[in-house]
Amino acid sequence: MARIPGTGLAKGLAVTLRHMLRRSVTQQYPEVQPELPPRSRGVIALVEENCTSCMLCARECPDWCIYIDSHKETIPAPEGGRPRQRNVLDRFAIDFSLCMYCGICIEACPFDALFWAPDFEYAEHDIRDLLHEKDRLATWATKVPPPPAHELGAEPPKELAAESAPRPSARSIRPPGALPKRPESEGDA
Amino acid sequence: MIDRAWEHESVSEPKEIVVGVGAGASAVPGKELATEDMVLNIGPQHPSTHGVLRLRLALDGERIATAEPIIGYMHRGAEKLFEVRDYRQIIVLANRHDWLSAFANELGVVIAVERMLGMEVPVRAVWARTLLAELNRVLNHLMFLGSYPLELGAITPVFYAFRERETIQAVMEEISGGRMHYMFNRVGGLKEDLPLGWLERTGRAVADVRRRLPDIENLIMGNEIFLARTTGVGVLDRETILQYGVSGPIARASGVDLDLRRDEPYLAYGELPVKVVTRSAGDCHARFEVLHDQLKVSLDLADACLERLRQLPPGPINQRLPKILKAPEGHTYAWTESPLGLNGYYLVSRGEKTPWRLKLRSASFNNVQVLREMLPGNLLADMVAILGSMFFVVGDIDK
Repeated sequence: MARIPGTGLAKGLAVTLRHMLRRSVTQQYPEVQPELPPRSRGVIALVEENCTSCMLCARECPDWCIYIDSHKETIPAPEGGRPRQRNVLDRFAIDFSLCMYCGICIEACPFDALFWAPDFEYAEHDIRDLLHEKDRLATWATKVPPPPAHELGAEPPKELAAESAPRPSARSIRPPGALPKRPESEGDA
Repeated sequence: MIDRAWEHESVSEPKEIVVGVGAGASAVPGKELATEDMVLNIGPQHPSTHGVLRLRLALDGERIATAEPIIGYMHRGAEKLFEVRDYRQIIVLANRHDWLSAFANELGVVIAVERMLGMEVPVRAVWARTLLAELNRVLNHLMFLGSYPLELGAITPVFYAFRERETIQAVMEEISGGRMHYMFNRVGGLKEDLPLGWLERTGRAVADVRRRLPDIENLIMGNEIFLARTTGVGVLDRETILQYGVSGPIARASGVDLDLRRDEPYLAYGELPVKVVTRSAGDCHARFEVLHDQLKVSLDLADACLERLRQLPPGPINQRLPKILKAPEGHTYAWTESPLGLNGYYLVSRGEKTPWRLKLRSASFNNVQVLREMLPGNLLADMVAILGSMFFVVGDIDK
């Protein structure tokens, strides 16, 4: 085919020229913060009151970057009861230099003590400072956004579904030791 | 001066002179100048290897005599780590070997486990997965459409490619929370349902990318310098491809018409019109063209998935899983068409909560081995063009 030499180059330059006349898309980052979606995995926040130091998050973490220390405390018996024991959280730390930001700890937590927050500005000069102790993790909790609503056609979130679901009647409660009805919960032990 | 010029002209026959200078001079046995092959290491820290691939080249002058890819500088023992992780934790690791196609990597693992469990995935999850896999393919291809010209000296296209990547990444981040390592697949579906308005925003993002794609085309596709550096360079023939197990866009650029999305449909691909892009030239330019055309096909598929997701009846996006998930005893091989080629997981389970063995067949590993055949005979200057057109990710080679 007969082509005028340089057509390809001219076409490319035309794109550049057109683009030069358009508005730039530069974001003035430190002055203007980016708008991050609520699900954005920036930093992990801890709501200490909810934590029962059950260690599920620490055990499920693929690279074991969660450190938990706790001790047992005996609550004196209320009137007509017996003394109870409860776990007191001494230390909860996440090493963000090891964390892979997978979110398994947050998924594994059965007591809603861990949440994602989209904050990302916690880079440090010293890698050791990336170990966030529980007081620092608690500060992130104020930044946790509410979860986004689901798309039409989605099932309602399980929190809402559980609220509106009818309470299980006495008959449907499984007596202790009985076999589960659903084959799915076989591995529960 | 005049005398000498006259003298020179008077010489009737040209005389051959052998000149030896330096160390080579002593080795001149007779007439010919001795040449010695030079061994040149490209990498492991060379920009054109984008990562830590090392090539040991033996050079005969400017020509490459032999080439040997030396791999393993980024070996992280992913397969061994899989053996001590449960199936949710494996997804974290699996999406990291090829960091440009994280979603496609996750997909292989969960498909293998679901097949072992005989688990039926909800329809909405199947379509959402297909959509996300195609968006991931778009992201991957845009990366190489930007970085390949960059390696050949065209700096501008990468900015345009990254602008489009940003558009798609925004919707990926909105749904999964991650920009590269999505961690969004779970055995039995997806982690969470789609956020409100996401389908519409994704539709807009896909339309935006399609509208602005001609920018990249005009910048590079007809560029004479780009054509000169890629056309007819690094031709890979069908026979070598079959011998080395090369797959993906590289194989299709040499006329190997294989695409698992069409030939062995997984997810919802069976219901989609997957157009397989092929070229017959097998050179660097053909490989680039395949990538570019596949991008358009992926955008069309993404649109089809979006359309379908809007029409689907309400339903769940995942299955309720037991606290401890165990794959039954047995083995299976799940392979998917990853953006860079065939990505397979051979899962052997002994009924534990971790796999007994999870063998990973990654696309780049095979695709890079063929450099041994491709590079010899080419000029050293073309090495960068060939290497870049093999579209590999070092993490995917070294696992």
